[in-house]
Amino acid sequence: MLSKLLNKTIFILVVIVIISSCKKMDLKPVDRFTDENFWLVNGNVSNALNTCYQRIFNSQRFFYNEALSDNAYAQLDVNVGTPSAIASGNDGLFTPDLARILSDWGFYYNGIYACNLFLENVDQNQSIDLNTKNRMKAEARFIRAFHYFRLMNWFGDVPLITNIEPDIDAVKNTARTPKAEVLNFVLSELDAAITDLPKKEDYAGADKGRVTKAAAKTLKARVLLYQGTPATYAQVITICEDLMNNQATNGTYNTLQPTYSSVFALNNELNAEVIFDLTYIGANVRVYDEPSRFIPISAPAQNSENYNAPTQELVNSYVMANGKAITESGSGYNENIPYAGRDPRFSATIVHDQAVWTNPNGSTQIIYIKPGSDPNPSRLNEQGSGLHTPTGYYWKKYFDPASVSDNRSHINLILLRWSDVLLMYAEAKNALGQFNTAVWDLTIKPVRTRAGFTDALALNYPGNSTRTMTDVIRNERRSELALESLRIDDIRRWKIAETVMNGWVHGGKWGPPAIDNGYVRVTERRWLPKHYLWPVPAIEIQKDAKLLPQNPGW
Amino acid sequence: MKIYKRQNTRLLNPLLRNIIYHGKITGLLIILNFVALTSILAQNSTVSVTGKVVDAANAPLAGVTVQVKKSNISTTTDTAGSFSLTAPNRNAVLVFTYVGFDGQEMIAGNGNLTVQLKAASNSLGEVVVVGYGTQKRVSVTGAVDRVGSAVIEDRPVANVTQALQGTSPGLIIQQRLFQPVSGALNINIRGLGTINNNDPLIVIDGIIGGDLNLINPADIDNVSVLKDAGAAAIYGSRSANGVILVTTKKGRKNQKSAVSYSGMYGIQTPRYTFKQVDGWKNAEYKNISLINSGRPVQYTAAQIDAFKQQGNGTWRLENIMQNAPQQSHNITVSGGGANNTFFISAGYFDQRSMFVGPDYGAKRFNFRLNQSTTINKFTLTTILSYVKGIYKEPSTGTEGLVIDATRVPLIYSFEDANGNYLGNSVSGSNSKAILEKGGYQNSNNDEINGNFTGEYAFNSHFKVRGVFGGVVRANTQFQRQVNLVYNGGNYGNDRRIYDENAKSLFTNVQLLGEYTNNWGKHDLTVLVGGTNESYRFERNRVQKQATDSLLGIPTTGTTITVPNADNAATNTFNSNSNTSESSLNSLLARISYGYDDKYFIEGNFRYDGSSNFPKDSRWGFFPSIGAKWRISEENFMAGYKAKVGDLMLRATYGILGSQGVDPYQFISSFRTNNNVYGFGNATGGTAQNPVSGGQIFVANQDLTWEKAESYNLGLDATFFNRKLNFSFEYYHKLTDDILGNREDVPGFYGIGPANSAYTGLPTYNISSVMSKGWEATISYDLKGKLFTHSFMANIADNQNELRTLSGNVQEYEFKREEFWFVRRVGLPITTYRGYVTNGLYQTTDELNKYPKFTGNNPDLGDLKYVDQNGDGKIDPADRVMLGNPFPRYTFGFTYNVAFKGFDATLFIQGVGKRDALIRGELIEAYHYGYSGTMYEHQEDFWRPDNTDAKWPRIAENGSNSNNNNYKIGSDIYLFNAAYGRLKNISIGYSLPASILAKLHMQRARIYLNGQNLLTVSRQKIIDPEQSEFNNRVDINSGANSARSYPTPVYYGMGLDITF
Repeated sequence: MLSKLLNKTIFILVVIVIISSCKKMDLKPVDRFTDENFWLVNGNVSNALNTCYQRIFNSQRFFYNEALSDNAYAQLDVNVGTPSAIASGNDGLFTPDLARILSDWGFYYNGIYACNLFLENVDQNQSIDLNTKNRMKAEARFIRAFHYFRLMNWFGDVPLITNIEPDIDAVKNTARTPKAEVLNFVLSELDAAITDLPKKEDYAGADKGRVTKAAAKTLKARVLLYQGTPATYAQVITICEDLMNNQATNGTYNTLQPTYSSVFALNNELNAEVIFDLTYIGANVRVYDEPSRFIPISAPAQNSENYNAPTQELVNSYVMANGKAITESGSGYNENIPYAGRDPRFSATIVHDQAVWTNPNGSTQIIYIKPGSDPNPSRLNEQGSGLHTPTGYYWKKYFDPASVSDNRSHINLILLRWSDVLLMYAEAKNALGQFNTAVWDLTIKPVRTRAGFTDALALNYPGNSTRTMTDVIRNERRSELALESLRIDDIRRWKIAETVMNGWVHGGKWGPPAIDNGYVRVTERRWLPKHYLWPVPAIEIQKDAKLLPQNPGW
Repeated sequence: MKIYKRQNTRLLNPLLRNIIYHGKITGLLIILNFVALTSILAQNSTVSVTGKVVDAANAPLAGVTVQVKKSNISTTTDTAGSFSLTAPNRNAVLVFTYVGFDGQEMIAGNGNLTVQLKAASNSLGEVVVVGYGTQKRVSVTGAVDRVGSAVIEDRPVANVTQALQGTSPGLIIQQRLFQPVSGALNINIRGLGTINNNDPLIVIDGIIGGDLNLINPADIDNVSVLKDAGAAAIYGSRSANGVILVTTKKGRKNQKSAVSYSGMYGIQTPRYTFKQVDGWKNAEYKNISLINSGRPVQYTAAQIDAFKQQGNGTWRLENIMQNAPQQSHNITVSGGGANNTFFISAGYFDQRSMFVGPDYGAKRFNFRLNQSTTINKFTLTTILSYVKGIYKEPSTGTEGLVIDATRVPLIYSFEDANGNYLGNSVSGSNSKAILEKGGYQNSNNDEINGNFTGEYAFNSHFKVRGVFGGVVRANTQFQRQVNLVYNGGNYGNDRRIYDENAKSLFTNVQLLGEYTNNWGKHDLTVLVGGTNESYRFERNRVQKQATDSLLGIPTTGTTITVPNADNAATNTFNSNSNTSESSLNSLLARISYGYDDKYFIEGNFRYDGSSNFPKDSRWGFFPSIGAKWRISEENFMAGYKAKVGDLMLRATYGILGSQGVDPYQFISSFRTNNNVYGFGNATGGTAQNPVSGGQIFVANQDLTWEKAESYNLGLDATFFNRKLNFSFEYYHKLTDDILGNREDVPGFYGIGPANSAYTGLPTYNISSVMSKGWEATISYDLKGKLFTHSFMANIADNQNELRTLSGNVQEYEFKREEFWFVRRVGLPITTYRGYVTNGLYQTTDELNKYPKFTGNNPDLGDLKYVDQNGDGKIDPADRVMLGNPFPRYTFGFTYNVAFKGFDATLFIQGVGKRDALIRGELIEAYHYGYSGTMYEHQEDFWRPDNTDAKWPRIAENGSNSNNNNYKIGSDIYLFNAAYGRLKNISIGYSLPASILAKLHMQRARIYLNGQNLLTVSRQKIIDPEQSEFNNRVDINSGANSARSYPTPVYYGMGLDITF
């Protein structure tokens, strides 16, 4: 009897347990907003815009794009996908399925998605005041224009996506929009942004670093400059003159910094020369580690590995302190002491053999790169095969020991700056045959002065130089903007890539004298006419045949 | 924002859905109970029966179940083989059943029976564990394999998964990585049938959600592998990949308590598959490579001479490896009285890592209590198990440590003469330094697995079972990286420490009613039940950096690693942003009917509702039906039966499901990402304010079950008086609505699937896959005068084929490194595509004649390629399908022999056909310039004095030659990965009964054993079992390269004692 009762009791208990453990089926995530409430919260709207900023550009592209050009060589695969495969000898063979090309295609459209999402939904929020909302929209439109500018620059015609289509199948037959239309879109979007964006001085302290009117104008000038027609040169001139002359409207940028290095110094972020930069923050909040892979092994470089090295060709491009190219007569260049008496930006940008390196604790050391030159033979060679600099040079620019902890740096990466405005102006004036002493004194002279040139020969307009003004301006751009990811754009739009990207890349002069005059051969590169435009990624054509025809030659 | 939505037409049965909605299951269960409670029967007058059960040699059999037929009166025999029970009357029929023996029936009579059981030379009498119950083998219609404990014991394995390798045809287990703790095993049943996860469902003692790698192999009584729809459908929406049911050992009623000890100790020795060439030779080769690239040499003749004089350095894999011990010890106590049984075990397993350094390895402690008590008609079974795992691993990944130790020329050493660590120009990362001084990662994991089952037998026909079970896991992990600075290298600059805590709770409640009856020639069993499974997981982590360099504790300058865009997985986070929950409500039923022990028919049904799917497509119905015909029982086959043996046919058909998706995917949501950007600038300073971003995750409101429609045909036969058993299965499975990532989303859409760089899209039902194959098992027993032999061989084949792909396209091609992985309708799930080579250029005439890649200028000694389409040039159109990476013809062979007290077992396992790609430095000399050495298997490369070479000319990265030979995905990277492996061998000796009796022991056996002793494969560069694919066939997997922990070869001995 007792046991029967016990049985029943246990049974009922089991039933109760079963009932109580039956779980609700409509579970929701506890750590996320859903689209029912996301846009109604002001903080979320800001966050959605912040995501647009996050995706503008990144440090990998900023630094490794240099290795796509004749300025640098990257021997290792890097996260963004084998620039070596594009820029080195492999180029003759690289195919439309190269990871790097797909990576860029996806990267920019991912940024565009964030902007489209923001622009499409921001009006759901009624509590942000209209002015702020209009400014925020203009920020997103600037960023979206930036992406389309990058896309058409690499690929030519690209699909122009300006809204979010929920049905993925419905977008599959999208064709490429002609480059001219994309260009018009970029320009008109920038015009709209220019109207609604404030100048930098109008931003409150906490908002410094956001897109400004001047940023939109400078980007517009760059877009126009890249088109390279007389009409666009004229527009570049107009915009640059507006920036130079209407500071009350556009903000003040023409206070050149005391030294070239200080433009990129950690303790001088958002200095007067900066028009727009990517923001990074210390203590591992938002950081990048590329420069720690570009410095001498004994510095020490991260994992004692070099991922990106300046070429002998870049080294040779720096003029002498007197403004003359090393190949010019009277330059005073001595091949045996090649690093002496050069453009001051050379040693601010590049670490060469026997350069003095400042350690994080303030002490200094000499970097012995030439094989066998190190008085301490037990130390590893800086140059050689393997993971050390293949060229015999390292990057110094953008490496500030004070900014680095745990191999990570947080110096803001400048995308648009005043020197570029001056050099764009110089280039456009020259292209239209309007270059003269006055333009020189407005452009090259202040840039060179800030760079630290003191020789009047370098600072004054070289009326009857043996070099053409085109060469001088282009070379000035190369020296001033090295490692700012712009060189690859420049050699493509000037159509000189076939010249500068074909043949051996060289390093320091310690090879066998019989070969290439003793300059070490690093790798052989080749550039074919089809490389001026990247192919549409192969896998994208598999997904949408309407993306055909492929770019010429691919 | 608008969400695209379409009418769901996939629902199987809207009516059922309406009847049984969430919560309403319970109502039904209550009604079920009521019916049960009101049908209790009265008891009759009785007769007492005693007896003894013996085997063919008249030795007593302990643990034989003695049951009064058609009643729930039963007992088991004690160690002397004796039993006693109370039968309802003298005419009652007693049924004697025992695993491994044929069942027997006897009239109770006057009691005091002696029953001799005949060993079952086939398995028809055996009892097989199936979903939510057991069945006699003879009535099973589905494809179920039973693996007994004998197969699992004696093997020096780290876990049950390894122990199951090769034991059951179609159970494919591939050990991808061999290191302790994080060694990776792919396990699937009948190959890959989906491009989603292929892991089978694991059920331990009736509770879903156990971990095969944590259970003590010595605790296992048997494992059932449910392979087809007929067997697995009762697990409904999780059964599409098959089910593995593990049943642990129990005590037996009326069994004298016995104490057993089993222990094993052995040494693991690393097996190396490749070796660096001598340092001086490498210097010569490097010079050749540079010359072939038009570049100056690196080493002078004097330097090379010096390398030759001074001999090789120590920078090689052998010097970070050592022989390492492995041991296990288990003690069990088991027994039972008239109304209760118990089984208690404690186990210890310790596998040391073969890496040098401070005692890396895995320790596992297992405790188990399996107990049952019967109070009249009520039986309460309690299963409690506790597992503690203590794992110590290096502070960085195994792959990096191995590769950094193997791709450096032998002119370098890990240490200088004074023992100071060194770096070098190829790898600054000194694996020996990191292993010895670089810190560690400790894991301390606890799992409690509990299961309470109450069973009430109302009468001999009807019983009800309530089960409450669950798994609690609490895992903690601590890692510390110590900063090492040495000449030419540095490690652990950030002096990182972290603690991670994860906790999960899985609960499973089941209520089952079972009705059995037999009348005349009819046999009927009906099982009906309802279950709920609920799961909750949460995790938190604290990570700091710049800790004290000696103690790793916070000090001046230490910071907490804050979340940012790049470290989502490794930052500091709290549990509310790492919590997930899911729940599954189910109804299930099984009806099986047998006629005359000749014809059997069975149906399994399950109706599942999962919280992982949106309301409208949440419920799924998964039925199966099976039938069996014992042809040899027919009268017209009497002659055949007498002369040849048994013959039977089976067939099943059913629909299985899979719900392998992350929760919440039908809700559009926004994740807040911290520290994505910054604004603000103090004058002259650097103080930006970090800001957060909002990232969208789009919903899929049409998400629903993955479904697999499958059929199975089986044939069982015995020959030679049941000495030879044969069974054969053929199966076909069509999996539709496969859950996965859409691969057809154009890049310009802006966001992609979860596995892409620009995640944001949910899981979709994307594609379908056909999978088919066959399995055969043959076993033969040969009893001689002195020797007893038994042979068991199994072999299985599986082929899969993509039927549709997301977006209904015909093909996707993915480039990974040099290769192309192709997903194409009509071909296996993933195939390799590439160029076919045609030997080397040997003459200038050939150089002029053969077609080439545009823009590339190969030279003598470089590879020629086949111009497949004959258009005079080599371009992507000349690529062909090179191979199929999935194992086919997987086989296992076991041989047992016994001679007096001696016994020996030999176990061979392997794969008959598989293609594998191996890439990287093991194939390409001086791979990308970051590999600094060549290996011995590469030395036969083309030189003017060695034109008849296996490998083409070597050259530096970026050169014409290198581009032509190695930057092209071609068949030089393709290998035949078929292999056979002597997986296990053991030789034992048992003390004879006469001596045992004097020692008061029941059993004493000592044995020697070995594992992975011999491997035969044409591919000798890496272990042939290695695969780049995980069990999801992830297309993003990299290719095989020289990064794996060497295969351990084990030699040891063991001891089994029972008192």
